[in-house]
Amino acid sequence: MIGTAIAAGFVATLVMTTIMRGASQFGLTRMDFALLLGTTVSDNRRKARAYGYVFHFVVGILFALAYAAFFLITGRSGWIVGALLGTVHAVFDGTVLVNVLLPVVHPRIATAETAANDIALIEPPGFLLLNYGRNSFIVALVAHIVFGIVIGLIVRP
Amino acid sequence: MRSGGYAPIEDYALIGDGRTAALVARDGSIDWLCLPNFDSPSVFAAMLDAAHGGAFELQPALPFTATRRYLPGTNVLETTFTTDAGRVRIVDAMALPDDRLPPMRELVRAVEALDGRVPMRWRCAPRFDYGRLAPQCHWRYGIPVATAGAEAIAVANWNAGTPAWRDGAIEAAFTLSEGERGLLAMTTAYAEPLILPARGAVESRLRATIEFWQQWSASRQYEGPWADVVLRSALALKLMIFAPSGASVAAPTTSLPEELGGQRNWDYRFCWIRDSNFMIDALLRLGCYEEARSLFWWFMQATALTEPIVDVLYRLDGGPGVPERELTLDGYKGSRPVRVGNGAVAQHQHDIYGALFETAWLYSSGERQLDADTGDVLGRVADHICTIWRRPDSGIWEVRNGPFHFTHSKVMCWVALDRAARLAEAGEMPRRHAARWRREADAIRAYVDRECWSDDLRSYTRTAGSADVDASLLMLPLVEFGDARDERIAGTIDAVNRLLRQGDVVYRYHAADGVPGGEGCFLNCSFWLVSALARCGRTDEAGALMQRLIARANDVGLYAEEIDPQTGAFLGNFPQALVHLALIDAAVALSPARRQRRAS
Repeated sequence: MIGTAIAAGFVATLVMTTIMRGASQFGLTRMDFALLLGTTVSDNRRKARAYGYVFHFVVGILFALAYAAFFLITGRSGWIVGALLGTVHAVFDGTVLVNVLLPVVHPRIATAETAANDIALIEPPGFLLLNYGRNSFIVALVAHIVFGIVIGLIVRP
Repeated sequence: MRSGGYAPIEDYALIGDGRTAALVARDGSIDWLCLPNFDSPSVFAAMLDAAHGGAFELQPALPFTATRRYLPGTNVLETTFTTDAGRVRIVDAMALPDDRLPPMRELVRAVEALDGRVPMRWRCAPRFDYGRLAPQCHWRYGIPVATAGAEAIAVANWNAGTPAWRDGAIEAAFTLSEGERGLLAMTTAYAEPLILPARGAVESRLRATIEFWQQWSASRQYEGPWADVVLRSALALKLMIFAPSGASVAAPTTSLPEELGGQRNWDYRFCWIRDSNFMIDALLRLGCYEEARSLFWWFMQATALTEPIVDVLYRLDGGPGVPERELTLDGYKGSRPVRVGNGAVAQHQHDIYGALFETAWLYSSGERQLDADTGDVLGRVADHICTIWRRPDSGIWEVRNGPFHFTHSKVMCWVALDRAARLAEAGEMPRRHAARWRREADAIRAYVDRECWSDDLRSYTRTAGSADVDASLLMLPLVEFGDARDERIAGTIDAVNRLLRQGDVVYRYHAADGVPGGEGCFLNCSFWLVSALARCGRTDEAGALMQRLIARANDVGLYAEEIDPQTGAFLGNFPQALVHLALIDAAVALSPARRQRRAS
């Protein structure tokens, strides 16, 4: 089951990333998870994006394993359960993850405590990612629901 | 200075970063900037609509006079304002990225008081998507941020007042005393989070940007009596090269009118195959080998989509489609319509085949060679030219009442087949059809000499059988269509000089072209006249004309597409690459080194 969850996590993150990049390219949002995550370790934009994609996939696979554990514990899976988990996941990402947890480890994200220094700062996502555009949370919600559906369809307890 | 909110076109200077460019007026207002790229929608377009286009103003809050220059050897603009209260200096640059988490694009405006105590004001009014979208106004921890869809800008400032939002614009006032320095950095993002820079990083990037331009200038290879203007032209051209692809825009603007109040308003933010030929020639002459290689490979990749047919122009990313549409902007001094996209893409202009082969010929000279695939593509294009050169086309000037049998187009088809045959002889292209290419080239020459010559005018004519001349005929000696001292070439130059020249500048033609209204004199044609005279050995005449044309540049050495021969006012898109390319060609044609080579 673990191998299936890892594979499902990779596929689901790929689909989710495609939806998010597509939304950016169509002007729906300025959300760029690769840049946001990658700048935790690099000032170089190109390298940061590369690292960010790697992080995104690693995190996606970890979440897929968490989804699988939930399926195992509850004995339920399928696309509806996956979609529900994806919804919870999106709300968690848009509130706690990017606004509370990420600034703890991200040296270049602006926070209310930021003082003048010599480090360039990346614009913070804000509540429900709204700093990146009004549609950002909708895009993230759709992407996470699709993520959950893919996991729910592939991983069986 | 301004009339109805509009500055004269010659009052602008260009800054850029190889991806986009901004026009800065003498009064410190940035009235044109597209983001994130040259061909993206504008954020500042006050040049095309003073009321609704958007601008970034920075100037003394007192009456002032202004002088400007580029910092030596750079594309960094310095404007010095003099007021009754003292003097301030503004340095404007599009910062080049570094490895300190640079913003996607960054416009830096540094202000320094030279003496006295000068009150200053700034106002940044972004209007996204060609003025159609007013910004959503936000704050991010004390920094004003404007957003619209996937676009966003932030305006960070240090020692330049306390900004406030008012009517969709960020504005502030501040006072600088002698020796004090303020700094504004407008960072931009498209489809990604904004970067909010620190002052140290902005100052560091500004210094690095100045150093980059100085080093780039020091590497240029031209020595001659006009070295300064050639270098300024080279720097301006470098700003018009889209670094991600190597393609160059014909000009970084759209719809600056060829006639005030007229309809001849076109979008030049695309790469014309024709200009690329001149560009590669100039880049090679100036020692910009990397830029030349990049442009040539863009050239071949773009044409690969359509070969053996070659489109007139391509997008900067190499794509073929640029549909023309009209915007609701008022236009420069009411000159409507304002167009984006360019309908000329659908025309047949046969001269571009000559440009393609001349480019390949120039590129393959020296140690550079064409690869086999490129040679095969060029072979198919040459075969295509053999089948189309007898057809009429819309010509170099993209007339909209054609097609006609333009002499210049026929000559450029001759150039294409002549260079194809020469490339085949040099082993750079397949030889299997070389005899056909040479035979067709000879047929074109015979056609031009028979059908496109007027005994009455003692000149080649604009089109087969016509009694008009055309400034494009000045290209004949430039592309070595016969000996430059041949009496037919000399007669043609004399006819253009006699019939199209007004003072020191040249009209392109006087015939109808299918577009209502008039136009100014074309500055590239004026420099072509210098080149043609120089190649015919009339160097004194050419040198004197060159001197007068150089005096026609604006105060920072830039040229628009056209000029009003009476007033000297600039017309058309600005600055125009083709004019600066023609200037470089004229300077090289007149350089002592070239004349010595000819003599030997």
